[in-house]
Amino acid sequence: MVLLTDWGDSSLVIDRLCDEAVEGDTAMACFYFDFAARNEQSPVNMLGSLLRQLVSGLEGIPEAVVQSFRNQKKVIGGRGLQVSGILKMFGTITTTKRTFICVDALDECVPEHRRVILESLGQIVQESLDTRIFLTGRSHIRCEVERKLGRGVTCILIEPKEDAIIEYIREKLRNNTTPEMMSSRLEANIMESILEIGSETCVPRSRAELHQDTSD
Amino acid sequence: MVNRKALDYDTFSPAFQQFPEIALTDPELTTTLFPTTFTAVKIEKMLQALSNNQNSFNIGYTVNYITPDDESKILAWLSPLEPRVRHRDIGAHRVDSIGGWLLETQEFRRWHNGNRGDEANHSTLFCHGNPGAGKSYIM
Repeated sequence: MVLLTDWGDSSLVIDRLCDEAVEGDTAMACFYFDFAARNEQSPVNMLGSLLRQLVSGLEGIPEAVVQSFRNQKKVIGGRGLQVSGILKMFGTITTTKRTFICVDALDECVPEHRRVILESLGQIVQESLDTRIFLTGRSHIRCEVERKLGRGVTCILIEPKEDAIIEYIREKLRNNTTPEMMSSRLEANIMESILEIGSETCVPRSRAELHQDTSD
Repeated sequence: MVNRKALDYDTFSPAFQQFPEIALTDPELTTTLFPTTFTAVKIEKMLQALSNNQNSFNIGYTVNYITPDDESKILAWLSPLEPRVRHRDIGAHRVDSIGGWLLETQEFRRWHNGNRGDEANHSTLFCHGNPGAGKSYIM
């Protein structure tokens, strides 16, 4: 069995959900899209991965999943697994407990696959009102996300801001493996140079400068 | 639902009494027929024996027993992908204190705490931005 805590302390939203899930009747599944892995990250494999995580967190495998597995053995060739079949199995789990689904880098998914996946996620939240979906991705897919998932979508713009960049650089400098090479002057120069570049890297902006934008 | 924790002697004793041959095929099982509690291993062995003899004895009901090996096969069948690898990779480069503001926003709380009674049902939260803005570290 895979526990929610197996995800470890390594991310913001997932950590928060894990902390609370330990105490309550909550399920969670996560997925990271990666352009380099676009061929294997098909809708069936992606949705199957989410389902696999939810099933792993249960005491036993639901009858609907066992039956589907046995039925596919009769199919000649392939896994006999389809999106529609996965969604049916989803319904047997997400309707019984509060479920969080987190998906990263949706923009790195092949557009044809993304259409199917967004429609599938839309169907999941429609059929299970206790299911919540957390998505990240580049801004250019915002309209597509809103169109496919409807009025229930809230959007937040993530931007790097100076105070967060400073905090990030300080943390990295603290972990410097060659401290004998570092001086306060060099440290100041590094900080100044990076901030001058106005880099759009590293970290999200602070709460105080949050620019939120909701669709509803 | 196949829940091994819920299995006990009372559930299966009628079948064992009706077909003692099932237990007699295994000396270890014979000694475990009468105690009212069994270890998980013994219960699994008895279930396996029942399952193996199900057709020949026609015991009248289905024992839907899933072995650990079956479980692994079913999970692998659902998907060959392993997202935890990417998760660990991202976590190794994240700075703990950064991004906490998101959890305090009204949008996050509304998404997180919302329920089916929520009129707008804020079921989806989409964090978007440019490449390198830190979206993956927030998740």
